[in-house]
Amino acid sequence: MTKILEINKLSAGYGPLRVLHEIDLSLDRGERIGLVGLNGHGKTTLIRAITHMTEWQSGSIKFCGNEIGGTRSFGAGRRTAKLVKMGISVAPQGDAIFPGLTVKQHLNCGAFTKEAWKEKEQRINKIFEIFPPLKKLEHSLVGKLSGGERRMVSIGRMLMVDAKLYLIDEPTNGLAPKIYSSLLNAIWSLNLNDRSMIIAEQNVNLLSKHVDRIIGIYAGKLRGEVGHVELK
Amino acid sequence: MDLSLIPYALNLAAIYSLMAISISMIWSSIGMLNLAHGATFAVSGYAAWQFSIIFKPIILAFFGKTLLANLLMGLVLISSAMVAGAIFGILIYFLAYLPIHDKPNYPVRSLIITLAINIATIQILLFLFGARNKGLPKIFGFGRFEIFDIPVRYDQAGTIISTILILSIMLSWLKFSRMGIEIRAMMQNPEGASYSGISSRTTAIPVLMITGALAGVSAALLSQTIFVSPTSGSIPLIKGLTIALLGGLGNVPGAMLGAVLIGFLEAVVGSIQQRYVMFSTFIFIIIVLIFRPRGIGGLLDDTRE
Repeated sequence: MTKILEINKLSAGYGPLRVLHEIDLSLDRGERIGLVGLNGHGKTTLIRAITHMTEWQSGSIKFCGNEIGGTRSFGAGRRTAKLVKMGISVAPQGDAIFPGLTVKQHLNCGAFTKEAWKEKEQRINKIFEIFPPLKKLEHSLVGKLSGGERRMVSIGRMLMVDAKLYLIDEPTNGLAPKIYSSLLNAIWSLNLNDRSMIIAEQNVNLLSKHVDRIIGIYAGKLRGEVGHVELK
Repeated sequence: MDLSLIPYALNLAAIYSLMAISISMIWSSIGMLNLAHGATFAVSGYAAWQFSIIFKPIILAFFGKTLLANLLMGLVLISSAMVAGAIFGILIYFLAYLPIHDKPNYPVRSLIITLAINIATIQILLFLFGARNKGLPKIFGFGRFEIFDIPVRYDQAGTIISTILILSIMLSWLKFSRMGIEIRAMMQNPEGASYSGISSRTTAIPVLMITGALAGVSAALLSQTIFVSPTSGSIPLIKGLTIALLGGLGNVPGAMLGAVLIGFLEAVVGSIQQRYVMFSTFIFIIIVLIFRPRGIGGLLDDTRE
């Protein structure tokens, strides 16, 4: 199997502060990885580093065999849009929400490539199948929705893309158990084919049985990997 | 109250809203308080003047003094001013946005750079064209007509109608087109926009071009009543900035409402005593900002962040 993402001795952080310490991680095509760890131990930073939202200090990341960014990044956020266009789709922590756009326009924001823009109607209908409550809210402003609905919009926007790699940062953050279980069920029922997914999450129980590997992250280092066999 | 104040006030409101909306849009989408907007205004005024000199004899030779000639002249003036404004917007992009947009202290740095561009442009215009005021041809003609017993001058009606036309085209483009949605997404959440594959580096170009073109329109329209001079952009810049603040920076409907309010305030105060106009405007803005720190745009917001 070919690797979709290869992270090699990556150190990253914010300014002089180093959060991630020489992380090595690789991801196969079609693989689902759960990332667990305490608050402040680097889950979000890892996802932000992959998307170049955070500057790297050293190391390298290969996406689909291509080096992205070299040993140093080009400044926070500068290459994010380009990477997203290359096929990394993100649902960031706390939802990247545009309060003044309607649900439909918000989902359209996910269809940034030319091909995606042409077939945006079909894709939006697909998202409405995955998240039925959004259908009724199609024309209401995202700023008026509840937390759970916003999370659906945020993840729906992520799924609008034909990405090779999906990154989801704490999808259950701040949601009631009933709401997040239906949200997660929607995520698990997705047919990934050869697309991969990394989910950062606090609750290991929610991830087990659904992901191929669970990786613990502690103090900016990867600790303890639980593989396929043990989980099932 | 003298009813003829209404077209006068709407005329002011039209031009102010063009300036305020562009300043507001630049601020919220790329985080730059564009003090070079006055320079854009002046440059596009000069461009319109230059093109009117070139095209006036041609148009007069072919069409004489007909309505068609007037329309063509108006088209030449407004389009040349818009193109010049858009080109100047690109210049601002390369000088004040691209080199520094991901460096620390970007808002302050860009403020200083755009201020420098403003001052330098005024000096260059002075050097090139001299301090003498330039008059643009009157594209709407002279004269007045009456609606509901209110006398309206042609240039006032022309300004109001063309502003409404141009703003509605621009706002509906912003609402429905893909680029428009991208710009609005960037105005609302820059980080989320880059997660959606919207690059601020590429989206900043159309933003600065469109706002430059809007400054061009307002220059061509305002030059129907005042002359083009190197410093002709300063007052519109100050008015545009304060109205953008009054409307709540980044809020387009707020900026429009603010422009109408200030237009009427100036018209009414001006009819009583001309020298109190600026004074009363600023007092009004200060009072509004004390009670509504987010500007009047905050009242129109019905969503939460």
